[in-house]
Amino acid sequence: MASVTIDQVRKQYGAVPVIHDISMNIEDGEFVTLVGPSGCGKSTLLRMLAGLEDISGGEIRIGGRVVNDVAPKERDIAMVFQSYALYPHMTVAENMGFALKLKGEDRATIEKSVREAADILALAPLLDRLPKQLSGGQRQRVAMGRAIVRQPQVYLFDEPLSNLDAKLRVTMRAEIKDLHQRLKTTTVYVTHDQIEAMTMADRIVVMRGGKVEQIGKPLELYDRPANTFVATFIGSPAMNLFEGSIMDSLFVTRDGVGLPMPADYRGAMAEVYGIRPEHLTISETGVPATVVVVEPTGSETHVLVKLGSADANLVLKDRVDLQPGQPVQVAPDRAKLHLFSAQGIRVN
Amino acid sequence: MSDLAIPTLQAEAQRERSAIGSLRLIQTACILVIALVIVSPLFMLLIASLKDDRFQILADMGSFRAFWVSNPTLSNFAEVSNLSGELAFGRYLLNSLFILGCTVGAGLIVNSMAGFVLAWGTLRGRALVLSLVIALYVIPQESIIMPLVIMVSRAGMTDTFAVQIVPWVASPLYIFLFYQFFAQLPKELFEAAEMDGASVFRIYRSIFLPLSLPALATVSILMGIESWNQYLWPILVTQTDYARPIAVAIATFFGQDSIYWDRAMAASVLMMIPILALYLAFQRWFVSSFVGSAVKG
Ligand SMILES: Nc1ncnc2c1ncn2[C@@H]1O[C@H](COP(=O)(O)OP(=O)(O)O)[C@@H](O)[C@H]1O
Ligand SMILES: [Mg+2]
Repeated sequence: MASVTIDQVRKQYGAVPVIHDISMNIEDGEFVTLVGPSGCGKSTLLRMLAGLEDISGGEIRIGGRVVNDVAPKERDIAMVFQSYALYPHMTVAENMGFALKLKGEDRATIEKSVREAADILALAPLLDRLPKQLSGGQRQRVAMGRAIVRQPQVYLFDEPLSNLDAKLRVTMRAEIKDLHQRLKTTTVYVTHDQIEAMTMADRIVVMRGGKVEQIGKPLELYDRPANTFVATFIGSPAMNLFEGSIMDSLFVTRDGVGLPMPADYRGAMAEVYGIRPEHLTISETGVPATVVVVEPTGSETHVLVKLGSADANLVLKDRVDLQPGQPVQVAPDRAKLHLFSAQGIRVN
Repeated sequence: MSDLAIPTLQAEAQRERSAIGSLRLIQTACILVIALVIVSPLFMLLIASLKDDRFQILADMGSFRAFWVSNPTLSNFAEVSNLSGELAFGRYLLNSLFILGCTVGAGLIVNSMAGFVLAWGTLRGRALVLSLVIALYVIPQESIIMPLVIMVSRAGMTDTFAVQIVPWVASPLYIFLFYQFFAQLPKELFEAAEMDGASVFRIYRSIFLPLSLPALATVSILMGIESWNQYLWPILVTQTDYARPIAVAIATFFGQDSIYWDRAMAASVLMMIPILALYLAFQRWFVSSFVGSAVKG
């Protein structure tokens, strides 16, 4: 196992910069997810860790060793690809044992390691099958098995679950997390799915446009997003944001709706008011709004209302009897609100 | 409204169906005629090779008796299948088979390696090399054959097997075929093997080559046919029976004043059998790999 340090790493394709001076420190045994919208450079960063892409600037250290110019196979890392990249002509056992065979391990050792990994992943009955004879979830597990067998210092995952259906994705998510808790190997996991990032990670790195927006524990990001991008990217349905300005003890939106503020707010000028859907409630003391859509999910109810001309999402724990067009009053929990500057930087 | 519409639709569908049916019939008839035109000379050849009397063969040509033999005999084959001396078609056949085996064997290795490196190597200027290779394909063999003959005779290579194998091993067409096949395999496969610790050669040998069976089959057949039918080159570089291939030897029949048609036919059948067997054995591969490379290419 090893720590990973990314120090002012840059990447450009020709003259086009794709990664701008990214720095972070990943502790030994930590599970870190890189999350961000498609095209933000997550895969590129991961592939630089793997050694599959050259680094245009900066330094990457794995276990204290600078690996900028070290070949992928000498970095002692294993990668699970989005497409799994199983060798189609090899059986599951051969796929998993290939790396050890290349290392020159003897047959018995390879067989033993493959069997151990297969037991961990419940692949033992499938060892003689070819990849094309496996389901998507099984292929995914073989791809992980291929990584486990090598007992590397670091695991790299690039959107490993995105080819699976929603239900299997949830199962595999738990399986990968469980595996990490057992093996305790440093893991860097790329995903564009914020729920995956939230549920699996020790720490999340939110990226956008080749830059890091925020690094932190999942609930830290949720409770104190550093800017409006992180605020809306993490959490579903997304945080409600209203533009406007502070007047006396109220935040007045563009439409003239006055939202309550904490009594003791002393921050800088806030021009964006953020509140998560579950921190809005229907209450007689609230501000007037109109119901647009009601979506019961069973466990909770999602309600879309109009506050002036702005949309606001509510997530209510109770079942409510609301009709579209019905006037209601919504009240934000003023202890849970988020205030941002005009540039979208958090100010409270 | 609907009462009226439905019968009309049905009638239309029926008319369409019968139109398709008669189209099928015409297609089938056309294919049959084409097949007959292609197969009948081969059949005639086979029949003639079983007739003992060379004058009778000539007399039968041009009538339906060309397709019939009343008392078939293998004596023609026995006469030409010697391993040495005159009419040593047994030897020529073995020569041709040996040349084919070596050419195809070496060709598969050399061309697939070149194609792999062009598709996946890190060599600078790969694109340039590739376009040069493709440009080479434009040059017809015949235009460089005299300089080549002079080269090999200076090198003292005339009348050897090597001289009939080596020049045909590497070929722009087959390099390109392999290049195209390898290039369409996913990048992750290469990278996964790289991370597993495989060298570039190992990736070629253990991952990409085993996956390229369709390309290997296509190239084997094309190279095999090309090698089997080599004529001009072996005429120029062979002088004795030692390495003479069957295609050249057969031609000697037709240079004589009085042609032994019976033996010529038997020798021709001998020459056809291996390549026909090769084709029939790989036929399914051949077609599917051509389609495959066309679709994916
Ligand atoms: N080989 C390449 N050449 C040029 N641009 C590339 C290349 N690979 C990726 N990019 C660009 O780099 C950016 C980040 O890509 P990527 O890391 O794959 O994003 P993500 O994995 O976050 O979706 C994208 O804008 C993409 O177009
Ligand atoms: Mg990606």
